[in-house]
Amino acid sequence: MRVLLVEDDAILGEAVHDHVAANGHAVDWFRLVDDARNAALTTNYGLILLDLRLPDGSGLSLLRGLRAKGDATPVIVLTAHDQISDRIEGLNSGADDYLVKPFDLGELTARMLAVSRRHGGSSVSIIRLAGLEIDQRSRSLRVDGREVLLSGREWSVLDTLCGRIGAIVSKTQIEEALYAFGSEIESNTVEVYVSRLRKKIGRDRVQTVRGVGYSLK
Amino acid sequence: MAKRSFSITRRLTITLTGIVTLFWLMAAGFGMMVMQDEFTEIFDSALKETGERLMPLVVDDLLQQEASGGPRRLEAPTIAHGEDYLIYQVRDSGGSVILHSHDATQAPFDAPLQQGFHDTGDYRIYTAASVDGSIFVQIADAFDHRREAMIEGGFALLLPLLILLPASIFAIRFTVRRLLSPIDDLRLAIGTKDGGNMAPVERETLPPELQPIAHSVNLLLTRLRAALDAEREFAANSAHELRTPIAGALAQTQRLVEELPPGALQGRARQVETSLGKLARLSEKLLQLSRAEAGIGGGEPVDLSPILSLVIEDARRVPLAHGRLHVVPETFPPLERPVNSDAFAIVVRNLVENALLHSPPGSLVEIELQPQGVIRIVNQAAVLGSELLAGIRSRFIRGPTSAPGSGLGLAIVSSLVEQMGGELQLLSPAEGRQDGFEARIVLSGQTQR
Repeated sequence: MRVLLVEDDAILGEAVHDHVAANGHAVDWFRLVDDARNAALTTNYGLILLDLRLPDGSGLSLLRGLRAKGDATPVIVLTAHDQISDRIEGLNSGADDYLVKPFDLGELTARMLAVSRRHGGSSVSIIRLAGLEIDQRSRSLRVDGREVLLSGREWSVLDTLCGRIGAIVSKTQIEEALYAFGSEIESNTVEVYVSRLRKKIGRDRVQTVRGVGYSLK
Repeated sequence: MAKRSFSITRRLTITLTGIVTLFWLMAAGFGMMVMQDEFTEIFDSALKETGERLMPLVVDDLLQQEASGGPRRLEAPTIAHGEDYLIYQVRDSGGSVILHSHDATQAPFDAPLQQGFHDTGDYRIYTAASVDGSIFVQIADAFDHRREAMIEGGFALLLPLLILLPASIFAIRFTVRRLLSPIDDLRLAIGTKDGGNMAPVERETLPPELQPIAHSVNLLLTRLRAALDAEREFAANSAHELRTPIAGALAQTQRLVEELPPGALQGRARQVETSLGKLARLSEKLLQLSRAEAGIGGGEPVDLSPILSLVIEDARRVPLAHGRLHVVPETFPPLERPVNSDAFAIVVRNLVENALLHSPPGSLVEIELQPQGVIRIVNQAAVLGSELLAGIRSRFIRGPTSAPGSGLGLAIVSSLVEQMGGELQLLSPAEGRQDGFEARIVLSGQTQR
């Protein structure tokens, strides 16, 4: 999925960025509220990691603004404010979870997964689907009992499709999940990676809904 | 020895009653002095008038009688009407007693035959002389009689004091209490001020004499509030400023561990990661301690049950707590107490963390909210000695454990619970068990005074 990271501390931001990217997610990293707001308004993110104290304002105002506009993108607040009152305010403002600095990157991954699953309506970390066994936590995949390795971009496509199993995921959503990997998104990039994924997990498992998107069956 | 202190009401009552009594006694004394002069004047006047009125009657009587050769004694009146105050003798120019009243002695008075007053040991005597100087009438009035009159007069002056003194004490006490009630109100208002209540003291309803005190107290409270706010702000900012670089260092180190190939370098990176983890925990405790020392415990009444639930929910996510927390009841009833919600969260977080860390792996930790608002956190640790139990609230004192910890948790908890006006009870073994450690938070429903 595509993740929006809002963190002004360069050292922490870089580590979180690299960690999330290493887990197969596309990450857009911004250090200012205004930049993050513009990005959130123009891009469909799967998750937002939000620091609260930023140079040009509070992350909570960004969160409230998004919720006021009906944006339900899951948000995990990353903050150095450990007070319970701050936390209650954050949750009341629409945050899905709250992680106090300093945190373990493994814990961050677990929270991201839990929030994404909750948001997607699923409550399990291992998805079993007609011969497929997808462990999102350990990022391992078995097809008919055989372990299959996926590249970061292929995981990103599969992860996006897993977010809404059986439902249609638009081409734009998959494009956005791939976007932050750095390379240019060509007009056929999504088709290329969907095709590669199909070769590894089985052609019939990813169905094309012409003119709309794709669906994992 | 400490000097015993009395209330202002008591001091004023005693002092005013003493002063009133003293003035009354002085007035009575002065009155008696005046009365004595007046009584002397009246008695002397009566004595003189009696002598001078008696003289013509005596002279006339003697002229009509033959000399009997001895003093004659008048008979007492047939109808007794008590002892006469005045007695008299009629004496000739030689000093012999010619006639005397029935209760006078036959022996002549010890007074010269000379017109005017004369005092003997027992009597004041007035001597009246006939025109030719041959007959003298001496009228005597006993000093006892005069003293008796003075005593009765003085007693009449003092009697109201004896009756009015208790009434005066009661009236003074009542008035003083009533007049001092604004001071009492001010005392109570100042007494309610603490870390959680620094609202200004009401000035408008106070008498003008007390308004400057209330004004000064309010100024002091404002300065104190600013200082405490600055201290709390500093603690909160320090938390932010300290946590972010530690978080950055820890995250970068964890990335390094991930990116390094297995080997010595990765081992070193893991050691750095472990140290940073310890640093993070220690800094967390020091920040909590600084906030406890800033006095954040008290506050406006707030429902603590959602905060308790939130802290327990957080604790459940820690790997150490998986499947170990047993919470009773499952849904907490409202628990409204005048405490700071963050301070309460720090207290519960520390106690749950301690209970998990210092008990056998996999053993249950019970968290119970009792109906009276008592929170019990019980683990299955080995029993602590009474000496250790007594000192375990002190900073850097730890039980016999190899579990990681700073030795600050219980000191922080103890300080915050005290600020909340509550009580922290530590028991080992836990109540109703042979083993275990029990921490019990008893929070009063009243605002801390």
